[in-house]
Amino acid sequence: MSRRPLKYRREESANGTQTEASAIRGPNSALTEFLRQQGISAEEIRQRHLRRVAGEEATLEDAPGVIEINRETEPDQRAEEEEQEPDQEELEIRIAARRKRRAARDNNDGEYTDSDSEDNLEQEDNHIDQDAVERARIVGDEVECFRCSTSFVVSVYSEQDPETGGYYCVDCLKMKQENDRAIRKNQLASRKKRQRLAVALLDRQDVKIPSLQDISIKRITERIEDVDELGDIGAINMKKIAKIICRNRSLNDTTLSLFLNTAIEVLELWDCSKITKDSYDKICSFAPNIKKLTVLMCGRFHNDNLNYYATNFKNLTSLELDGPFLINNQTWQSFFKVKGKDLTSFKVSNTHRFDDTTLETLLQNVDAEKFQSLKLSRLAGIKFKDSYDMIPMYLTNLFELEISYPEHEELVDDSMLINTLSINGESLNTLVLDGCAGLTDEFLINGIKPFASKLRKLSLQFLDQITDEGFVGLFHEWHTNLGLNEVFLKKCFSLGDAGILEMFLHSNTTLVELSLNSVKDLTVLPFQVMRCNNLIYLDIGFIRSIDDRVLELIQKNCKQVKIIDCYGNNKCTAAAKIREDVKVIGRQSDTLW
Amino acid sequence: MPSKYIKLITHDKHQFIISRDSANVSQTIKAMLETSMFKESSTNKIQLEENALIMNKICEYFYYNLKYNSNNDEDGDIPEFEIPTEMALELLVASDYFNC
Repeated sequence: MSRRPLKYRREESANGTQTEASAIRGPNSALTEFLRQQGISAEEIRQRHLRRVAGEEATLEDAPGVIEINRETEPDQRAEEEEQEPDQEELEIRIAARRKRRAARDNNDGEYTDSDSEDNLEQEDNHIDQDAVERARIVGDEVECFRCSTSFVVSVYSEQDPETGGYYCVDCLKMKQENDRAIRKNQLASRKKRQRLAVALLDRQDVKIPSLQDISIKRITERIEDVDELGDIGAINMKKIAKIICRNRSLNDTTLSLFLNTAIEVLELWDCSKITKDSYDKICSFAPNIKKLTVLMCGRFHNDNLNYYATNFKNLTSLELDGPFLINNQTWQSFFKVKGKDLTSFKVSNTHRFDDTTLETLLQNVDAEKFQSLKLSRLAGIKFKDSYDMIPMYLTNLFELEISYPEHEELVDDSMLINTLSINGESLNTLVLDGCAGLTDEFLINGIKPFASKLRKLSLQFLDQITDEGFVGLFHEWHTNLGLNEVFLKKCFSLGDAGILEMFLHSNTTLVELSLNSVKDLTVLPFQVMRCNNLIYLDIGFIRSIDDRVLELIQKNCKQVKIIDCYGNNKCTAAAKIREDVKVIGRQSDTLW
Repeated sequence: MPSKYIKLITHDKHQFIISRDSANVSQTIKAMLETSMFKESSTNKIQLEENALIMNKICEYFYYNLKYNSNNDEDGDIPEFEIPTEMALELLVASDYFNC
């Protein structure tokens, strides 16, 4: 392939007329272009190689057995070189033969290794040449097999033992090759197994026989386009199928209708990016009895749809939308005016068209007694602090509150939260404040501690102003609260041992899920005190003090723990003893290869 | 001493005689056989609503599960259980019932 343009280039460079622009040539690769610019020519390298081989010539003279004539190879190249030297042709033949043998040997080796890189190609060449010389000397001689000591005549196909340099006789060679093949096969199988284990670990599953239900679901979801009706497969399987086809990104207008019927009251669709405007209306007309609707990634959800929902969903009480950026403020407001009084839960995230007045309309129209869950996440349209400050004025019976990733960290501050907690603390179960980086220790001590007696889930990810002082203040003798179940403190950088220790002392027996990811200053101390008998999930990624011993200690002290995430802890190695029912995810030793 | 084999009778009157161990892969059948108050546990016969075609595949799965579940820590190379696409939905309904 590359010989022709290279030849042109040699001619052109010889008479010195070649320029980049004037050269007429066919399509070539980036590599060729690069080599051309660097002035590297394959022909030159070949010439150098030929000269070197010519040097060896003398030593090869007395071994005629090695010559294999192959006139088929490279006839045009020979024609080019013929006039140079009378001996050239014979040399060419030798080279062709050697190249052929080398190719055969490379094929035997199967895979390329790193050593094949271009840097040491030259070196490799030398090495192989040496080999060839060695072998050439002995072909045709009678030697003893280094393994079974029978004497035999060495042929070009004989192989040397790489360590001792002795030759294998025909039988031993056959045995050795079979052996090698078996070893390679074993290696491949074990590598495959390790890969499968590692993949399963990332999915947090055991490698086990899949259930017939899962096999069927897999097969169905592969061909979901051809299914007319799902039939009586049970709500759990229905949900499973919905989840899988959302993950496959094959939820579209056709497949959507499989999940719609008049009986369903709850519908959750995780990835609606392919659902068009008309189909959103279809949800309402085919499944009018839905009470709880979750529609995520609904980029094509249109103003008309929301208006249609407002008038036609009679029982709708709970709505969660992610990414409804086509809905404008006017439509939101008219929706809240109609449906607001029925809503018990409203969750919205990822839209810039939900502004201050819209939030105000929502708050004004909901029934404070009924309304229990509010989620406002990543809403870039809310630009004034006053809007968030209004929440405690209207909402008094919240069970779940999430305000996360506001446009600026100043929008959500301590006083607003203390206010909200003082009014809703009695009923509040879940509090998620991820990314509200303006919050400090004050709201922990003066907001959560005195008011949130029923709090069970607390998520404070990315709150870098939370310190030990706040945590000690919150958890020390917090008798009104009987313990938290879920605590997420990812990237609370300012927390240290004292705060976490105090948390363990307070919620030791109740914690079920805990994330301390990137709380980087932690030492081994809190983990020695930790006795979380109900803990199932623990994330201790990127905490430098965690090593194999701490891992073992955690398993010993937390009897129920099932999953431990420990990404980024390079002291956690394969040597750690892991209980059979525990999955440790993210160790460097669990690599795929 | 309970019999080593049990008989599954489909609604189109085919009979499948399979080992008790394999039938126990299905939690539903297991419960039927273990609960002494059910007639099935004494007669070792179970009358089912499935048709023979589906039942055939389900029995195949019972044995597949039994075979590879017992020796999975050896080399771990488990072949995939093949099911025809057109049967998948019916199988899902059936396996939902059999809880396997």
